[in-house]
Amino acid sequence: MAVANNELEKVIIQSVMEELAKKGLLSQKGKDHVMAAAMMDTPLVPNTESEEMVTFPPQEEMQISNPFNADAVKAMKKLTPARIGIGRAGTRPKTMSLLRFLADHAVAQDAVFLDVSEGFLQRMNLMSVQSAAVSKDEFLQRPDLGRRLSEEAVKIVSEKCEKNVQVQILIVDGLSSTAIEANIPDLLPALMQGLKSAGIKVGAPFFVKNGRVWVQDHVASIVNSEVIISLIGERPGLGTAESLSAYMIYRPNETTVEADRTVISNIHKGGIPPAEAGAHLTDVIQQILAAKASGVKLNQQK
Amino acid sequence: MPESTNQKITSVGIDIGTTTTQLVISQLTIENTASGTLVPRVEITDKEVIHRSRIYFTPLLDRDLINAVEVSKIVETEYKAAGLTPEMIDTGAVIITGETAKKENAKAIIDALAGFAGDFVVATAGANLEAIYAGKGSGAALYSAQRHQVTVNIDVGGGTSNYAMFHEGKAVDSSCLNVGGHLIEFERHGDRITYISEPAKIALKHTGQRLQPGERVTLPQLRPIVKAMAGCVVDVLKTSVHTELTKELLMTPPLQLAHPIRKVMISGGVADYVYALNGPTTMAEVTAFGDFGPLLGWELKVCLERDGFVLEKPAETVRATVIGTGTQSVNLSGSTIHLQENTLPIRNVMVISPFTSLIPETPQGIAEVIKNEILRLQVDHFEGIAAIAMKGPRTMSFANINILAQGLLLGMHDYLCKAKPLILVVEADCGKVLGQCINASANKPLELICIDQLEVDNCDYIDIGKPLMGGRVVPVVLKTLVFNR
Ligand code: B12
Repeated sequence: MAVANNELEKVIIQSVMEELAKKGLLSQKGKDHVMAAAMMDTPLVPNTESEEMVTFPPQEEMQISNPFNADAVKAMKKLTPARIGIGRAGTRPKTMSLLRFLADHAVAQDAVFLDVSEGFLQRMNLMSVQSAAVSKDEFLQRPDLGRRLSEEAVKIVSEKCEKNVQVQILIVDGLSSTAIEANIPDLLPALMQGLKSAGIKVGAPFFVKNGRVWVQDHVASIVNSEVIISLIGERPGLGTAESLSAYMIYRPNETTVEADRTVISNIHKGGIPPAEAGAHLTDVIQQILAAKASGVKLNQQK
Repeated sequence: MPESTNQKITSVGIDIGTTTTQLVISQLTIENTASGTLVPRVEITDKEVIHRSRIYFTPLLDRDLINAVEVSKIVETEYKAAGLTPEMIDTGAVIITGETAKKENAKAIIDALAGFAGDFVVATAGANLEAIYAGKGSGAALYSAQRHQVTVNIDVGGGTSNYAMFHEGKAVDSSCLNVGGHLIEFERHGDRITYISEPAKIALKHTGQRLQPGERVTLPQLRPIVKAMAGCVVDVLKTSVHTELTKELLMTPPLQLAHPIRKVMISGGVADYVYALNGPTTMAEVTAFGDFGPLLGWELKVCLERDGFVLEKPAETVRATVIGTGTQSVNLSGSTIHLQENTLPIRNVMVISPFTSLIPETPQGIAEVIKNEILRLQVDHFEGIAAIAMKGPRTMSFANINILAQGLLLGMHDYLCKAKPLILVVEADCGKVLGQCINASANKPLELICIDQLEVDNCDYIDIGKPLMGGRVVPVVLKTLVFNR
C-alpha cells in the first residue's frame, strides 16, 4: 500500500512539474531537481541555486479555455481587479489562479507585518515617532494603543513640531507599510506644492509608527493645527496591498466622532494616482479650511 | 464650497442632409458620479430627447445651394414649438451631412446657424464624424458595449452610406461610400426619371445600362443598378479588396476591418425598408418619395443576408444622425481650469500631438519636440488657439509630471507671449497635478485649461464651452475624427 502510494505520488509530482514546465514557469533544471528529489524518497531540500522566481501571466489575461464571448470577459475584467474570468479545473481553481491567490495573500500579510524602512524615512526626510503600541502584535491586538502617541513621542512632538499651523500632515503606517513606501514619494511633494501655491501654512510632516487613524486627534491636541491629515496605509486586500487613505479633520476634540472626518480612499497606482491625489487633497483641504468643518458637517455646508 | 452635484443642460442637434433636415432638442443631466471618497468625475448620466422636429425636405435654392433663410426658419419654428429661445440652448452641434456637405454654401450656413441657434452651438461636418454620430444615435455604440459584440452601423441616407464600427462602445473605424437612396430622382409615385447624380452615372456605366432623365423605367430595369449599389455597400464590410465600382464610390479610405463584425445595424432614411417584411413590388411603391430609397433598402437586406451578416434593429432609424448629434457630441472634461470667465467659449482649437513616442526625459528635450512640431505645423502663423495633446507624462511620478510641466512652459514660451491660453489635453489621470505644477513653475499667472482622461488626435479640432458644475468641468466638442491609418 505504501509502495502504491509512493508510485502515485511520483506520477502526480511528475505531471504537475511537466504542466508547470510547459507553461514556462519552471526551468528544465528546476524540474529535474524536483523529480530527482521525488525519486529519492527523501524530503525535498530546496536547491537555492536553481530557485527561480515564478512569474504570473498578466492579470488581464483571460484564463477561460473556450469562452463563448471572449470580448465580454475582457471587457468585464477591465472593470474590476477581482478574480473573474480565471477559468477552472473541474470544480477547483487552475494552478495559476491558486498560486496567484496565495501570492497575493502573502503580499497582503507582508504589508501589515513589515515596517516602513529606516532608509525610506531618511530619504523622505521624515521625523519618526511611535504610537503607544510597542510592537506590531500589540498594535494589532490593541487598537486603542495605536490611537495615541507614546509618552516619548508626546515629548518629541511638543518639542520639535511647529504649533498653530494651518495644516499638519502625518504619515501613518496603519495596516500597510507597503502603501506608504509606494505612494508617499509622489503624493507628499504634490500635496506640499499645492498647499504652498495656495499660501497655506504647513507644519513639517512626520511619521507615526504603529498608528491608527485617531492618532491624528492626539497630535492635533499638541500642535494645535486647524486641519490635520493622516496619510495612512489601508487594510490590504487581495487586489492590492498598496492602497492608501487620507483622513482629514478640522480641529478635533474630545467630542469628535468618526463622522467628523473626511476620507479620500483608494490612492494607489491602480486607483487615484498618488500625484493626482496630492493635487486633489489640496482642494479638499482648502474647502475644509474655508468651511471650518470636515466630514458630514462639511458635506452639509455644500 | 457650495457646489451642485447635478445640473441639466439643453443641447440641440441639427442635421442638414442631402434629402432631409431635422432637429432634436435634448436635455442632458450631468452629475458627479464618483463617490465622496474619490476625485470627482463628472459625467453625462442621462439623455432625454425633449423635442423631435418634423422631418423636412432640405430646402435648396438649386441643386447645389442650400436655402439658408429657409433653414433658419425651420430652426425658428421648431424652437417655438419646443417653447425655447436660443438663449436657453447650452450646447450642441449643427451637422451638414452627405452630399449636401459638398455644396457650395455649406460653410455660410454653418456660420449663420451657429450664431442663430444659441451661444454654444458649434458647427461640425465631415463624413467620419457623421458616421459616428449616426452610430451613437442608432444605438449601435451602446449595443456593442452591452452585448460585447463588434457592431457596424451603416447610416444610409439620400446620398451617402456612412459606416461606423463600434467595439465596446467606442468608435474604432469609419468610412463613407457614395451610395444613397436619392441618387436618382423620379416623379413621385411614377416611373419617370427626373435626375441622375454623378455617382449613379458611374454605377450605370458599370452595369452597362443607359438611362437618361425624362426616360421611364420598369422595376426590372431599375433593379440591377440598385442591386449593384447595395452590393458595394456590403463589399466594404466584407473585404479590403474591392470591386472597381466600390473603389470609385468610396469617398474616404475603406474600413480597415481590424475586428470581425458580429452585428450590422442600418439607420438613415432607407433603414425602415431594410427591416420591412416585404420589398416594393411596383415602381409606384419604389418612388413614393421621388427616389429609389425603398428598393435600395430592400436590396441591401437581401445582399447582407446572402453574405451571412446578422442584422440587428436600431433604436432609431431616420433620426439616428440628428439624435446622435444632439446628444452625443458633447464630452465633459475637467481638472484644472484657471480662466477668466469671458475667455470661453473657444471655438476651433487646433489639437497638436507632438509626442509620437515616449516623452523625453528632460524639460529641454520636451521643449524641443514641441518647438519642432509648432514649426512643422506653422502654428506661429496660425491666428487661432492651439491645444497640446499627449498620452501623459513619461511615468506617473511627481518628478516626471513636474518635468513635463517645465518642458511645456519652455516649449510654448513664444506662443504664451502672445497672451494666448495654455490648453492641454492629457489621456492619463493627472490633469489636476499637471495644472498645479505648471502654475507653480510659471513666472506669471497663466490662463490655463488642463483637461484629462480625454483622447484626441493630431489635427483634431475641439470647441470648449463655458464651464459647468461650479467651474469644475467644461463641455468639449470633438470635431474631426480620423482613425490611425
Ligand atoms: C475597516 C473598515 C471599516 C470598519 C472599521 C472597523 C475599525 N474599528 O477599525 C467598519 C466596518 C466599522 C467600517 C464602517 C464604516 N465604513 Co468603512 N471601511 C473600512 C475599510 C475596509 C478599511 C479601513 C482601513 O484600512 N483603515 C485604516 C486603519 C489603519 O485605520 P483604523 O484607525 O484602524 O480604523 C479606522 C478607519 O478605518 C475608520 N473608518 C472606517 N470606515 C470609515 C468610513 C468613514 C466615512 C470614516 C470617516 C472613517 C472610517 O474607522 C476606524 C476606526 O477609527 C475601508 C476601505 C478602504 N479602502 O479604506 C472602508 C471605508 C473607509 N469605509 C467606508 C464607509 C462608507 C463606512 C461606513 C460609513 C459604512 C456605513 N454606511 O455605515 C461606516 C462608518 C464608520 C464610522 N465609524 O463612522 C468607505 C468610506 C467612503 C467615504 N469616504 O465616504 C470606505 C472607503 C469603503 C468604501 N470603498 O466605500 N469601515
